[in-house]
Amino acid sequence: MNRAPHHRRLTSLVVASVVASVAVIAGTPSLAMAADAKDKDKADAAPTAAEFARLEREVAEQRQLIIQMLQIEQDRYTILLKLLQTGGQIPPGTTLPGVPSLPLPGHAAAPSAEPEAPASTPLAVVTGHVQSRAGSVKDAYVYLDQVRGSSAHGRTLEIKQKDKQFSPQVAVVQRGTNVVFPNFDAIYHNVFSTSGRNSFDLGAYRAGETPRAVVLSTPGVVDVFCNIHARMNAAILVVPSSVYTKVGADGSFRLENVPVGSRKLVAWSPNAKPAQQRVEVTAAGGQASFTLDTLAPAAHANKLGQPYGSYKD
Amino acid sequence: MKRPSESRRGSPTWALTLPLAALVATQARAVRADEPSAAPPPLAEPADDADADAAEPVDTQSQINDLRQQMKDLQMGLDQTRQIATLRRPIVNVSGYVDFGFFAPQGTGVGVVQDEGPSRYFPEYANKYAWVFLGDLLAPTVNSRGEAASLGNFPGVNRFDSIDSTGAPSFIVNEVNMTLTAALSPSALATASVNFVPRSGHDFSIGDFMEVDIAQLEWMPTRSGRTSIFVGKFDSVFGIEYRDRKSNQRFGVTPSLVARYTTGTPLGIKFRSKLGDEERVVIAGALTNGSATTEQFHFYDEIDSNSGKTVSGRLSVRPLRFDLEIGASGSWGPQDHALDSTDAMWFVGVDLLAHFGPLDVKGQWIKGGAPGETGPVYDPNHRPYGLHLNNGGYLELDWMVTPFLGLLARGDLRDAEVWLGDPNALSGADRFYLTKEWRATAGVRAVVNEHVVVKAEYLHNGEYSARMPSIPNDVFTSSLLLTY
Repeated sequence: MNRAPHHRRLTSLVVASVVASVAVIAGTPSLAMAADAKDKDKADAAPTAAEFARLEREVAEQRQLIIQMLQIEQDRYTILLKLLQTGGQIPPGTTLPGVPSLPLPGHAAAPSAEPEAPASTPLAVVTGHVQSRAGSVKDAYVYLDQVRGSSAHGRTLEIKQKDKQFSPQVAVVQRGTNVVFPNFDAIYHNVFSTSGRNSFDLGAYRAGETPRAVVLSTPGVVDVFCNIHARMNAAILVVPSSVYTKVGADGSFRLENVPVGSRKLVAWSPNAKPAQQRVEVTAAGGQASFTLDTLAPAAHANKLGQPYGSYKD
Repeated sequence: MKRPSESRRGSPTWALTLPLAALVATQARAVRADEPSAAPPPLAEPADDADADAAEPVDTQSQINDLRQQMKDLQMGLDQTRQIATLRRPIVNVSGYVDFGFFAPQGTGVGVVQDEGPSRYFPEYANKYAWVFLGDLLAPTVNSRGEAASLGNFPGVNRFDSIDSTGAPSFIVNEVNMTLTAALSPSALATASVNFVPRSGHDFSIGDFMEVDIAQLEWMPTRSGRTSIFVGKFDSVFGIEYRDRKSNQRFGVTPSLVARYTTGTPLGIKFRSKLGDEERVVIAGALTNGSATTEQFHFYDEIDSNSGKTVSGRLSVRPLRFDLEIGASGSWGPQDHALDSTDAMWFVGVDLLAHFGPLDVKGQWIKGGAPGETGPVYDPNHRPYGLHLNNGGYLELDWMVTPFLGLLARGDLRDAEVWLGDPNALSGADRFYLTKEWRATAGVRAVVNEHVVVKAEYLHNGEYSARMPSIPNDVFTSSLLLTY
């Protein structure tokens, strides 16, 4: 058996991994230190909108880099593991981790083909039922909470702005997903969210202009609006891992790949109060049922925190 | 052919690989024992980052920890800055626009002609009114304010002719608007809209003026924000044209021929409520000092001269899944300018508003009336005009061909009689305006960016009655709108 080619490929692979990691590790602190230095310089000055925006950008970049770096590290170990398991054979479909680059707004990245790391805990299936006091469970989801799954680095979701509406109006994404908001209307829209750490303001643009995007890195619900048209709204649930599922029309759900143990599951639907439950998941699986309490529709403020006024339709 | 061992010896990168492989050996063993058939998602627990990655090499681990700490510090800094920024958020938000125009009217820029002399077009009015005018004073409008290129110099009338172009083409600053909004609470919004209007003075008086067209407090008492209660000086509830009466809202440049009856901003109290989950029904009502006619026309007075108040309302529905709104409006109240509340001025109308992608269709029909002076003696400063608005309306198509370029087409109609004085009195009435006007408007709109819009229109005004003379009152007008 001629193993030399495999070794050369292995060597290249490892070198590439190490180079990628070093590049990220070397680059990241310098950004952070630069940000710190700038912050210290301006510690006494009142923050301006520009500073605020810069700080936000820097944190987003930091976060993105760390996520990418962790992803690469994970990929590297995965490849090494597979090499060990296969006795030095590079498994088919394995891709070399590359040097990460910051996502460019408007440029949708291809879904990640990198293999996921195996978990050390046995996995099982949780089934159950969700009901809503409002009757319909349309757009309801169940997801596994309090876990740290891999980031959805490289994945992109597109939410269109068309006919003064977002489409889709409800979406669930794994943290780290890049969400692009192309505007297909001839008029301007200004997409923004004031949802905690996922806050963003994409500014005003219209059809034909480069769509702007945001990476949603923090799990939670992101309420998305247009600063110009109050009726435009969308809800994005950012989940911590890929363990989530859409509830069927009859309210039933089947959640796969849930690690065995005591697990926190959450049922969520827009315009409903999320319901959570701790479930004892065994190797045979688990059962859960949820009842969603409907929330009365509430007016939202514009990006300045002011009411729109009734004529901003 | 090299043997594997030779290859190993000859590859210095194995020196890097082996320690890494050793470090993950424990993990690898666990995976071999527990690995399910399908690749599971990568999960770690608990969510707390602190105890993760225990098997990392020390240098990498410390760097990761450093990075995590830096990220936490930055996040903390961001949260603090955000808090400060929120506290420093301006209490009052200032926006507005500058509307700069150029217009070229046909003829003298006057929309009416006097019917006089022995060969009158309408001799039947000769014995009832001292002066009879044919046409529409506001037909040769040049801007979103509805100002006419010229009002003419006719006898018996002392008007403020704000533009008075005498038919010459001219540049004009149509208005400089400043709108102040302040959120008094999450459910209360105060708005003031002020227009600065530079105009020529006459007879040693300055023509420039400033007007407050909106001064309102809007309170949304419900959690949904679907019901609003207004106090102050606010937009009308009649029809749909009030929504784009301002030049930064209007697709084209000029208002319709019936805008004078519906786009005023009366003073009083108002409510508006959207009903149903999808807000398919909207109901609005107002109690105001007089009608929603505009300041450019005869009927309006801001402070009432009578004790009665005007009631107005609109009910609209969106019956279909696509964006179509159909509404019906009405108003009833004492005549503006009248010292008593005896006689009523009223309007009724229906309207339609539909969006088909880049095409908007807007239509409105209106009818109304007011008896005017019904007694012999009126205070010279409080003389109500009589009105027979037999028919009035418009249909407008606004099409954004591209995000940059839009086209407008509008057809208008106004069939009305307006008079001052009591035509049944022995002495007759002062004056009479007879309008049988149609108008075709073609316009173009270029949206340069979100702050700059250029608009141009050609208005062809025609008289549809065979007895009416043809009045040369077409207008070309344009507007450069700079919003801030």
